[in-house]
Amino acid sequence: MNIPPLLPQGAELTHPPTRAKVYISLLLAFSLTLLPWMEQIRWLVPDFTLMLLLYWNIRAPRLAGIGMAFSLGLLTDVARGVLFGLNALAYCVATFIVLLVQRRLEGFDTPRQTLQLFPILLGKEALVLTLGLMMGRGDADWRWLAAGLAAALLWPPLAWLVDRITQQQPASRQTPL
Amino acid sequence: MSRAPHAPLFVREMGLPARFGLYVLVCLLLLAMDARYFALSGVRAGINAIIHPAQMALAKPWEWLDGVGRFFVSHGELAAENQRLKSLHELLEAGLSDRAAITAENTQLRALMELPAREGYTMVPSEIIETSTDPFSRKIIINRGERHGIAAGWPVVDANGLVGQVTRVYPWSSEVSLLTDRGQGAPVQNMRNGLRIIIFGQGSDNQLEVRFLDMHADLQPGDLLYTSGIDGIYPAGVPVARVVKIEPPRHTPFARALCQPLGGVGRYRHIAVMKPDRAETAVARQLAPGAKKKTP
Repeated sequence: MNIPPLLPQGAELTHPPTRAKVYISLLLAFSLTLLPWMEQIRWLVPDFTLMLLLYWNIRAPRLAGIGMAFSLGLLTDVARGVLFGLNALAYCVATFIVLLVQRRLEGFDTPRQTLQLFPILLGKEALVLTLGLMMGRGDADWRWLAAGLAAALLWPPLAWLVDRITQQQPASRQTPL
Repeated sequence: MSRAPHAPLFVREMGLPARFGLYVLVCLLLLAMDARYFALSGVRAGINAIIHPAQMALAKPWEWLDGVGRFFVSHGELAAENQRLKSLHELLEAGLSDRAAITAENTQLRALMELPAREGYTMVPSEIIETSTDPFSRKIIINRGERHGIAAGWPVVDANGLVGQVTRVYPWSSEVSLLTDRGQGAPVQNMRNGLRIIIFGQGSDNQLEVRFLDMHADLQPGDLLYTSGIDGIYPAGVPVARVVKIEPPRHTPFARALCQPLGGVGRYRHIAVMKPDRAETAVARQLAPGAKKKTP
């Protein structure tokens, strides 16, 4: 049995993740998706909001969570002009799966983490497309699945960048006290 | 209240699966409400009013970059473009006088036949600020909204023909469903013989469809389709599509015709909303709450 430590240890003690870090980084990621992307590469643009959400669910599950996934999903729904609750549902499912295996993901180094996250990121795009099909909104454009692949490829640089900026240490590199 | 970032000693909240189930239930409820009853347009407009300024601000640097890029075009390019525009201008002028003559003749003929003149429309020029990030819908966001007097249900055109219809109005922007959107339809008339049919979007960028066509209907590839104006939403005589192919009936007793839209559906940056001079028609008002147009 994996029992979480009662007291913060290592880098978590010296540079704990704070609410400000979580909210500001999520806001930045959300504005990234709001940028006027070119029409030709629109289907290739990864969902940065979801990536950051999953990042914080792995690094600081007490600060993120399903509630946050739900509200971010609703925001994304409005920004994208799709049915209310479509992205919210997809975000909730992805967050739930990540929280289930959070202990394992936390301990992995970045390449292994990427391999584990790839099906989740791809599954989210597939879920959005399938839900659209179920609501009778026409033929699915399966090119959009590429966004899941792009997100997985961008995971290592993104995780590294956010680690550096917020001075988080991945658990695998923490030195035991 | 700030919660400790590490695990608390005593857990006083619902378990993860229970919370997940609850949120999924809420999501499904919202989906059903939005898809079937259009009950959440107020909430959506509210959240959009918050997001919209951010969207506009984020688009600004790109416009500036675009402007800087345009500053550095070479002289030759400008000269060539000038030449091209001049010839285009002449062409347009010729077409315009032609059109004026035809319009004058048309008014005369109408007066002769004692038909009521078509009610006037004012063009509200607008710019496309965003295309939808949804693989299923063909929708665009334009920079004219409730504050500019736009209302849901009004037709949207460009220089070549019908583009679509305003389906959702936000305070500073509105959403236009393109003719190619799966839920859109328009009553049209064959220019050659006056045959009245209804044309539907298919969800593909460059194709419209006439479903349930009588297999003996006189429709040929190359025929031009114009709006018939019998729905009270689209004015009569706006070019809509050209017939490309007629598919003979296979599994059903009906034939099917594929058409190509004439208006630049999803191609241009500038389009015009047709604002009826009279107050909105009863039909438009009736259609306003529901996003989709119901064809007769």
